[in-house]
Amino acid sequence: MSALDLDFMRKVANVPRGRGVLLCIQCGRCSGSCPIARLVTDHNPRRLMEMVILGLRSEVLLQGLPWYCLSCFTCLDRCPQGGDVGEVMFAIRNLAAKERNIPAGVVAQARSLIDTGRVVNPVKSILNKRKSLGLAEIAPTGVEDVKKILKRTALDRLIRSR
Amino acid sequence: MKYAFFLGCLIPARELSYETSVRKVLPALGIELVDMKGTNCCAPFSIQSLDYASWLALAARNLCIAEEMGLDILTLCNDCYESLLMVNTTLKRDPKLKNSVNEILSEVGKEFKGKTDVKHLVDVLYADVGVDKLKNAVKEPLTKLRVATQPGCHLTKPKRLHLGFIKEFGALDELVRATGAETVDYDRREMCCGGPLRDINDELSRSVARQKLMDIKNAGVQGIVTVCPFCFLQFDLGQLEIKRHFKEEYNLPVLHFVELLRIAMGMKLENWETKSHRIPISDIFKGRL
Repeated sequence: MSALDLDFMRKVANVPRGRGVLLCIQCGRCSGSCPIARLVTDHNPRRLMEMVILGLRSEVLLQGLPWYCLSCFTCLDRCPQGGDVGEVMFAIRNLAAKERNIPAGVVAQARSLIDTGRVVNPVKSILNKRKSLGLAEIAPTGVEDVKKILKRTALDRLIRSR
Repeated sequence: MKYAFFLGCLIPARELSYETSVRKVLPALGIELVDMKGTNCCAPFSIQSLDYASWLALAARNLCIAEEMGLDILTLCNDCYESLLMVNTTLKRDPKLKNSVNEILSEVGKEFKGKTDVKHLVDVLYADVGVDKLKNAVKEPLTKLRVATQPGCHLTKPKRLHLGFIKEFGALDELVRATGAETVDYDRREMCCGGPLRDINDELSRSVARQKLMDIKNAGVQGIVTVCPFCFLQFDLGQLEIKRHFKEEYNLPVLHFVELLRIAMGMKLENWETKSHRIPISDIFKGRL
């Protein structure tokens, strides 16, 4: 086990969407509500909150743990503390992304977003089908604007460097 | 009523029959759709997971386009809905955050003013059109059809974002019953379809869909009705994937709600639309397609 980061909880709390971790009382209702925790033991939102509270920074950010959550928000609606567990998960993933801990599927979606302005793009046969049906053209989207925005927020650098 | 129509990425690329059905059914119910031009991805789960400011700015840019049109937004996708609704609500409440997002948006000549609202298809059908008017529009009631609904997570969660009627999960079932079909409750109905983890953790995503399909099958229904393109994909394509990986067959046809409504209104699906469903839907309509 690596060294504890005793400021870790506060760091997570100070990331946007992360505030709720300060309210966690470790009751476990989030884990009882979680569709993923039903299926695999690796994912357990209560335990992840505990790891943040204890300061297990590397264990939380550098491995797969942040990427099990579906963001279904069931835990968020059920947290008796209003601790917004599902929101805290986004804060944790934002920090993990800064450590370049990003699943390949997420990188692919982000690359598509930067290149085309969309995370899912139609294949050629669908484009032809749309044309034959007289449906609105898909391209061009606001791709130039998207590039400018993501350059400004440095998301493009985060993705390109991975 | 007139809406700025936000199609998102997935529907126009993969689920054309959802789009074409909406374009037929909504105008017939007095809802005018004006296509939004130059929109970008809503910034769903994957993008939100990377960076907060990117999410806010990308979603807000779409909101700005609707503001310029002077219209509220109508979306067909639970993920687009959640992203746009959450950002719209957050920025309207937080002037400081709004300013910092507008600073980013100034680079692309946009300014978020907070003058649009975000609606899901279910909001519009339930609140603007209303169940009574839907019942009147139904020409060929789908009696003897038993279905399970999957409203999808982000239609109703987190609760604090949503209007009273939709909070309780019942709106979609009421709409389905207006077509004459029967809706059946089932275990873990509120549970996610597993969609957000598709392409990120396929094995897990499939396992969640499989759990849902088991629960739905146990309820003894003829099909599943969804209002989210991710739920649709998870159940429709998902059944083929589950067949391959688990050697299990569920044979549950999956329909977008608006397709069901279209059939009940007597507006037949085209052959290609019927065939776009990977799990064949013809049998449950007994020659009416």
